Amino acid sequence: MHRSLTQRLFAHAVLLAGVLFLIVPVLLVFAASTQPTSVLVAEGLSLVPGRHGLENFRTILTLQAGFTDQIIATDMLRNSMIVATGIGVATTGLSLLAAYGLVMFRLPPAGAFFWITLATLLLPLESRFITTFQITSYLGLINTHTGMILPAVMVALGTLFFRQLFLSFPGEYIEAARLDGAGPVRFFVDFILPLSRERGGAVFVVSFMIGWNQYLWPLMISTDERHYTLVRGIRLIGQESGPGMALVVLTILPPLLLVILFQRWFLRALEETRDAF
Amino acid sequence: MAQVELKQVRKTYPNGAEAIFGVDMKIDDGELIVFVGPSGCGKSTLLRMVAGLESVTSGEILIGDRLINDVSPSERDVAMVFQNYALYPHMSVRGNMSYGLKNRKMPADEIERRIVDAAKMLKIDQFLDRQPNQLSGGQRQRVAMGRAIVRNPQVFLFDEPLSNLDAKLRVQMRIEIKRLQRRMNVTSIYVTHDQTEAMTLADRLAVINEGQVEQMGAPMELYSNPRTLFVASFIGAPQINLIPVSFDGTHLVNGDLKLAGFSDLPQGTELVLGVRPDVLRVDAGGQFGMNVDLVEQHGGENLIYGSLGGTTTDAGEPLEICLKAAQAMLPAIDDQLTLGFDPDTAFIFRKDTGERLK
Ligand SMILES: Nc1ncnc2c1ncn2[C@@H]1O[C@H](COP(=O)(O)OP(=O)(O)OP(=O)(O)O)[C@@H](O)[C@H]1O
Ligand SMILES: [Mg+2]
Repeated sequence: MHRSLTQRLFAHAVLLAGVLFLIVPVLLVFAASTQPTSVLVAEGLSLVPGRHGLENFRTILTLQAGFTDQIIATDMLRNSMIVATGIGVATTGLSLLAAYGLVMFRLPPAGAFFWITLATLLLPLESRFITTFQITSYLGLINTHTGMILPAVMVALGTLFFRQLFLSFPGEYIEAARLDGAGPVRFFVDFILPLSRERGGAVFVVSFMIGWNQYLWPLMISTDERHYTLVRGIRLIGQESGPGMALVVLTILPPLLLVILFQRWFLRALEETRDAF
Repeated sequence: MAQVELKQVRKTYPNGAEAIFGVDMKIDDGELIVFVGPSGCGKSTLLRMVAGLESVTSGEILIGDRLINDVSPSERDVAMVFQNYALYPHMSVRGNMSYGLKNRKMPADEIERRIVDAAKMLKIDQFLDRQPNQLSGGQRQRVAMGRAIVRNPQVFLFDEPLSNLDAKLRVQMRIEIKRLQRRMNVTSIYVTHDQTEAMTLADRLAVINEGQVEQMGAPMELYSNPRTLFVASFIGAPQINLIPVSFDGTHLVNGDLKLAGFSDLPQGTELVLGVRPDVLRVDAGGQFGMNVDLVEQHGGENLIYGSLGGTTTDAGEPLEICLKAAQAMLPAIDDQLTLGFDPDTAFIFRKDTGERLK
């Protein structure tokens, strides 16, 4: 298909506009994190970097804030890491097992189980805060990492993702493996795990990021300042300041690194999904 | 090595579909049996019941003297080659071949020895470290065979293993499978819907029709002595000529066509005359005429197609027949040929039951 030059220019212009739209706010944040608070207050955001970057970062890494003056950014970073990793690992692991059960052992109620699992997508955490809070409190999980992780695990989405992948496996090599003496556990270890590496990487990254960016739920169940996550800490330090901006950068970096690291798997998994539909 | 025996085997799928209606069969040690039949007749179902991939609804399957109805697939000591090769995509050729042996806790040096032997035999030794997606279809097929061979099973099961290959490769692999099977002398069941493959490979053929064994025997026996219309029409390429007729006491009649030389046939029932293309001869004293409309030259022989003079089908067209002739016999389109055949070489069936009368 040959397009005329103007058509091609137009297409590129649209794409470029999209890229700018997405990236300029991020650049603004990066630039602002290098300005002193006074400049930010006086001149607002600009794309010009300042010379205050190191100082801002030093401030937030040593600053002690909050009522008790005990919160420092490294603690918040650690909390965010624990919570996001927990959500990522639990989501990936549980949905992998759920999808394996649903697809490979076709018991009659499997279909119903799948739709019930999927229906939980219709009830996001926000819509069931009160009951979830009650249960969490009943289990004594207020102010714990476990309490932040468990209700946010996204099994429905992950199960859908893995199910699509498993359904695309040809039945013949599953049967060949049975003849080769692979029982359910061995098949899981020797086939499902290696063949879902990419899909699993993608599910992990997505659920990690959603977990990382959680705000309301951690806010509700952590009254103890030592359990604050980075996203919450931004409010505490104040976005309008140079150090606040540095904290925003610190908050963006880990998920960004993760996406760059997993990019290849991620794209491949998305392509597989496209092919499966 | 073992014999395989099926006793009154039936299969009803969980959704209620009945696939196999009571099959009895005895396969001797080292024999290569081919299941052949049209699509959906139940060949794969029967094979997969022997493999243990489908449950047996009723009846008994024995390998050697062991009843295996409830034995798990991996413990039946059978190896299967699938139509789509079913190679494990994330394992190398070596990994594919060794997987089943490792699961059986075979010592590593024994595994390696078997793989090297099988790879040499199949000429895939230079591919052992490749992934399946780096192989051609024919090479994948060989790997699939290799995976079965290294298991050194009591029974080989093949489900249309060659149908994804191109015609030339299919012939080549067919010959190779036959040689391998002879050499290893392992009892084998081979499923195909290709009658040429069936004829050339089989020690004995089982023609399956709608979940039942219609006839079982050596290929040439089925060819020259079919018990039913179905078997006669399924075995033989080009297909047998089938001419609907009735018997008037002295002749077989279809429209203006009258064929003498038959006796002792029921009158008043519809019959079918079956004449193989290779027993038809061009013969000036013959009993019917043919108007040539197509000649296929196959090199050593010609297939001559045309309409049979004086006959009509239900649709009002003249009947099509086919004649196999020598290379030199090359009529032009619209030539009239007079044909004859020896009545002893023809078959007569009842149309309603398909039963052979002569
Ligand atoms: N899993 C199943 N559930 C229900 N019915 C089935 C199932 N598998 C096969 N059948 C039915 O059983 C019959 C026999 O199927 P089978 O696959 O054995 O045919 P086949 O002879 O191997 O045909 P083909 O040459 O097309 O492979 C068919 O009518 C088919 O629809
Ligand atoms: Mg089949």
